[in-house]
Amino acid sequence: MFFSSPAWDSVTYWSLDIETGGLDPRRDPVIALGMLPIRAGIIRLGEAYRTLVRPEAGREIRPESVLAHQLVKGEVGEAPPLPEVLGEVDRRVRHGALLVHQQGIDVAFLRQAFARHGRRWPAPPVVDTVALLRTLNHRRRFTNPDYAETEPSVNLTEARRRCGLPDYQAHDALTDAIATAELFLYLRGALGARTLRQL
Amino acid sequence: MASLDPVAFLRATPPFHALPAALFDAAAGSLEIGYYPAGAQLIRVGAEPLQHLYVIRKGSVRLERDGQTLQVLEEGETFGYTSLITGKATLDVRVEEDLLAYRLPAAQFQRLLGNAQFAGHFAVGLSQRLKSSLELSPVTTFKADLQREVGQLLRRPAIWVEADARVGEAARVMRDQKVSSVLVRGDPPGIVTDRDFRNRVLAEGLGPETPVATIVSCPLMAVEATTPVSAAWTTLLDTGNHHLPIRRGDEIVGVLTSTDLLKVHAPGPVAVLRRVERMADRSGLPGYAAKVTEMVASLLAGGLAADLIAGYVARLNDALLRRLLTFAEGDLGPPPAPYAWVVMGSEGRMEQTLLTDQDNALVFDDAGEPERAWYRSLAERVNADLEAAGFPPCHGGYMARNWAGTVSEWVQRFAGWFEARKPQELLAASTFFDFRKVGGALDLEPLEAALGSTAQHPIFLRYLASAALDLRPPNTLLLRLRESTELDLKMQGLAPIVLLARCYGLEIGSRERNTHARLEAAVKAGLMSQEVFNVVGEAYRFLLGLRLRVQLKLASEGKPAGNKLAFSDLSAIERSRLKDAFRAVKGWQDMAAYHYQASF
Repeated sequence: MFFSSPAWDSVTYWSLDIETGGLDPRRDPVIALGMLPIRAGIIRLGEAYRTLVRPEAGREIRPESVLAHQLVKGEVGEAPPLPEVLGEVDRRVRHGALLVHQQGIDVAFLRQAFARHGRRWPAPPVVDTVALLRTLNHRRRFTNPDYAETEPSVNLTEARRRCGLPDYQAHDALTDAIATAELFLYLRGALGARTLRQL
Repeated sequence: MASLDPVAFLRATPPFHALPAALFDAAAGSLEIGYYPAGAQLIRVGAEPLQHLYVIRKGSVRLERDGQTLQVLEEGETFGYTSLITGKATLDVRVEEDLLAYRLPAAQFQRLLGNAQFAGHFAVGLSQRLKSSLELSPVTTFKADLQREVGQLLRRPAIWVEADARVGEAARVMRDQKVSSVLVRGDPPGIVTDRDFRNRVLAEGLGPETPVATIVSCPLMAVEATTPVSAAWTTLLDTGNHHLPIRRGDEIVGVLTSTDLLKVHAPGPVAVLRRVERMADRSGLPGYAAKVTEMVASLLAGGLAADLIAGYVARLNDALLRRLLTFAEGDLGPPPAPYAWVVMGSEGRMEQTLLTDQDNALVFDDAGEPERAWYRSLAERVNADLEAAGFPPCHGGYMARNWAGTVSEWVQRFAGWFEARKPQELLAASTFFDFRKVGGALDLEPLEAALGSTAQHPIFLRYLASAALDLRPPNTLLLRLRESTELDLKMQGLAPIVLLARCYGLEIGSRERNTHARLEAAVKAGLMSQEVFNVVGEAYRFLLGLRLRVQLKLASEGKPAGNKLAFSDLSAIERSRLKDAFRAVKGWQDMAAYHYQASF
């Protein structure tokens, strides 16, 4: 092996989830963020970071998104501004990997926000539980020719159920981050991944 | 953090549920989550002890010693405390099914041990744990009606008249508002009631122009709105009033009448007893079962243990039965010779909670032999009346109309049962051996004496024991208590205890019928240790309470009484306690199996 990859449990994974006021990273605001680390393969609630985020001027919470996160403008008006929150995120993910459920949304929003506020994206390795689910599905087909390969569920609760994990209340940023972290631990074991690269 | 699922789950799990909020929150801040695939070995005997207290959220672990499985722990159960307390790894812990566990670092656990109740959970034995879970279980924790605040009973605001109002005016206000009292403004304010109009106005020859000020009662004997109903009831009894003004601080917010308070007054045993005693004829019989059910439900809600409730029910049924005997004797004339009405089975043991099948028999003096028809009619009538009162006929036909006979016949029958070897005969024998006299003047000493001689029939006793030991609680060791699992609380939990307690009681010649009393007698006779008694006794109470809850639920749905309990209907706390109870029963059975094989 030319470049050795670190053992999977020697890496700190920051499981992160954000709630947004819409689905467009260029127009919609980040309004809540939760993250917590997995160190040595154990999820640490004590180091969790959880905050609401004050939307930047000109970015509105879309009514249809309220159904999911149940946050309205008044609740986030007094929250810390985005640059301050980005600083907290940066400080953490700089020494570790970033763990998300479906990077298409969370990472896109974060990168956009970092760029917009003149911060350099720390470019941590990103582990995506949706991608891991896809790999697992794919691999099952090798061992079981009859296994119908389906696109993994993007819905976190649904994905957890299939893996035998309990239902958690969805759409709270920190709870989703915990839920993602647990799903990751399951998938890591199911895939038999030993190094970060295998994830 | 309280809204986080893992934290909320921990909070609901004993003993965390009993911690003060501040202490719990501090500990919850250090919560960790681990995921361990099936087959993983978490700890090995003699190796590094565990450094955390684990609470199982999903999956299960197997505790083993020398390759022997000691226990399988599931959702809501904790492990690791032996490691943390002793600093040694005394067990192998292996993951049985993919395990999602919440865990608390040793330092946090040590801090929580400073809380006596929390520490007690890990220090005390099984019986204490069962007992505390009984006290904290949802069966008994919700507020009884009698603890409700009187303020919650108010249906309307207070009705007032001015201080200078006339009696006629006050009466019209009361008529229009459909109330039986009105408050009178003033310093201090007062109250005028229907009764005052009669006693202080009409009886005194006064007219509607009388100023209310002359008949008003003041100051008001008001109680605070947060007063529990039970205390308000006492206030009414003490003052002799029928109206109770309710205040919040300085403000009078309404008036409750004694009728309002009666409506929430739980129908206690005394009320049902009075109903039975006042029953003039058979027309009062229908509805008796419903009254008893209502009473049982409210007593259970009030936090009374199931065995105590069963004691009330038995005494009420006895009172009813004696009433029925007087009805029958009224029809038939006095008995030709003394008789005894006996109840058997659970009624004999005073362990019946809701009304179930009749189990009764009639014994009469040998001198009554020529008048057998009289006793048959008596039995026929009482059996029919019991049915009318809500006791269904017995499936096995153990009813006095089929089982009436002279003392001599009964003594012979008892002697015959000692030769019983077939399951059906043993069942009959054990039902009858729990007999208890409820009415009649006949002395049953000959039957008591026959029963007392059971110990001289060791083979019979051994057959009885083996029938008792055939009923096994579900195997908790490998118990897959899945959501869909259905348990039979009677056959898998209560019956094994009842049957074995009967064997012990008969062996030592005890005259007790009640399971708890038989166990106590067994301890006195040295047949059972105090320790085992505590554990089994608590398990019995726990199972009895659970079954009562199941039965009340069925009754409220209009379904016949049953003993089936879906495991999913239990909270995590109760599930784990239920397993403890089964373990207790099983442990005792193992000892009993040894006893009955070794001592004969």
